[in-house]
Amino acid sequence: MKKNGVKMIKINSKNVDVFYGKKQALFNINLDIEENQVTALIGPSGCGKSTFLRCLNRMNDVIDICRVKGQIIINDFDINDKSCDVVRLREKIGMVFQKPNPFPKTIYENISYGPTIHGMAQSKNEMDEIVETSLKKAALWEEVKDRLHEPGTGLSGGQQQRLCIARAISVKPEVILMDEPCSALDPIATAQIEELIDELKKDHTIIIVTHSMAQAARVSQNTGFFHLGELIEHGSTDKIFKNPENKKTQDYITGRFG
Amino acid sequence: MNKNKEQLLNKRYKAEKRFRLYGQSAIFMALLFLTIFIFKIFSTGYSAFQKTWLIVPVTFDTELMMLEQNPSKEDLKDADYYDIALKSMADLDPNANEDQENELKRMVSYFFEREIKRELLNDPSLIGKTKDVYLTASDDLDQVFKGNYPRDLPEDQRRVTDYQLKIFDQLVELGKVESKFNLSFFTYPDSREAELAGIASSFMGSIFSILVCLMIAFPVAVLAAIYLEEFAPKNRFTDFIEVNINNLAAVPSIVFGLLGLGILLAVFQLPRSTPLVGGITLSLMTLPTIIIACRASLKAVPPSIREAALAMGASKMQTTMHHTVPLSMPGTLSGTIIGLAQALGETAPLILIGMVAFVNTIPGSPLDPAASLPVQIYIWAESAERGFVEKVSACIMVLLGFLIIMNLFAQIIRHKFEKKWS
Repeated sequence: MKKNGVKMIKINSKNVDVFYGKKQALFNINLDIEENQVTALIGPSGCGKSTFLRCLNRMNDVIDICRVKGQIIINDFDINDKSCDVVRLREKIGMVFQKPNPFPKTIYENISYGPTIHGMAQSKNEMDEIVETSLKKAALWEEVKDRLHEPGTGLSGGQQQRLCIARAISVKPEVILMDEPCSALDPIATAQIEELIDELKKDHTIIIVTHSMAQAARVSQNTGFFHLGELIEHGSTDKIFKNPENKKTQDYITGRFG
Repeated sequence: MNKNKEQLLNKRYKAEKRFRLYGQSAIFMALLFLTIFIFKIFSTGYSAFQKTWLIVPVTFDTELMMLEQNPSKEDLKDADYYDIALKSMADLDPNANEDQENELKRMVSYFFEREIKRELLNDPSLIGKTKDVYLTASDDLDQVFKGNYPRDLPEDQRRVTDYQLKIFDQLVELGKVESKFNLSFFTYPDSREAELAGIASSFMGSIFSILVCLMIAFPVAVLAAIYLEEFAPKNRFTDFIEVNINNLAAVPSIVFGLLGLGILLAVFQLPRSTPLVGGITLSLMTLPTIIIACRASLKAVPPSIREAALAMGASKMQTTMHHTVPLSMPGTLSGTIIGLAQALGETAPLILIGMVAFVNTIPGSPLDPAASLPVQIYIWAESAERGFVEKVSACIMVLLGFLIIMNLFAQIIRHKFEKKWS
């Protein structure tokens, strides 16, 4: 989104290095993410794109041996700083995973969990409303409105993934991270999710990791190409796909490796 | 070439057939042993659930009972029943001499006086009248009536005299001997007399021990497992703890008994022979079993659930308590029940802390002396009287029933609460 012709930067990462034990997984990543746009991270398996994504909501904290260096600035605030509270951070930055992972609870409880732990609803009515709007935004409301109290794990794969998206947006995050959200889905479900992503970018900044270059081309405005832990090239999706500067990018886009 | 291939194929089929046969025969053997075992226990034990009664006419003679006219309820309680009890037994044979009267008295249990008293207290209008009263037969006659007694042994090798047998046979012919369901087996505590021995004390002892064991072992084990699995850093020290927990599970139970003896009884001076001490000792044994079961089921919760909760902004504690632990509960609970079932069948440590003592009262709390079911089996198996043989098997049946119910419960919990995740 441009304001007065200036790009609004939501996330600004500076010199990010990530180590798994002694092995370095990411080398000096400098990447700016534009607000209310979809940014796609592409690259061959093991190139570090998921690792970078997980830096943005500090999910790498879960891994004992993982260390992150460098600055990641969101809203003028370095999230790697000691004073950063991960709970608050993850409330602002939602995440959707590769495999749909609804809680083994009812559809309603899946959505209401986030608002409950963050104290976002004062009454049952308010909660009902949050659940409804979240499901509507995730384009799942029509399909599940009559069975909100049935287990979320009983839905089909694509529905489960949309349930996970609804769960992520239930706490009104500013940023949504998506880690290959369609890799476990069939083409129809994939198309639904892609449509949804386009819709969601009005209210949220979206970063999506994907293996499918076609998908990156379809849904994103900006693209970053990772290779062997380095950010080779980034820029507008148009430019990356039509007129890449780097030879590696061109080779990958045209399917010569990866 | 082609023929060779066919031979190979045939060989493979044959090998598979043989393998199936081995498997089937293994299962057959296992079932055979189980059947023999159960048949043996049932065939010796079932008769313990029947008890033989002699129906003896008793005259409630006020003079012999040293009662005034129109006695009150209190008077009836304090009255002397021994003489009328003796007299009713002696009256079975009007021609009996003094020795024979003694033998007649030994045909019933030494509870006969109490049984007569109970009859009168139930119906005070019987005073001065005569009524047929059911008296517990002595254990030897009980066995005679059940056909388990070697009557053809020479008289000096049996405890039942020829005279007693003669009178008993007369009574049988008159229909004055009856076999009824042995309720006292469940309501009486242990006794030196087989006909009066019951499992009430050891059953309650077992229940109290298991409850104490559960209340100590479950919270400690679950907290330890959650901490180790979810919160503790993975380093050498926690590895060391893990190895030791596994070792603890392999320690022979008698060692825990020695620990209970040396620490709980000697140092802390807790009351001997009580389910409290028994339960604490058993909880030490059950602890590693529950920890291992709980950790295994925590491990089985898919990491994607944890990630989902963390990514929603749940703290570590919330993730664990809201998602991981509830999902691990079926496995933990069934592990707990299996651990408790193990503890229920444990004998050695309880013998060491004194629960093997002869207890003829029914415990009302974990602080009263008690036995436990497996120890009761051990005590009775050691006794010489013929009447205890069937009691041992009957007690095993009760214990097995208890265990089967517990394991069934574990299965039900597992099935009922197991949730499927994608």
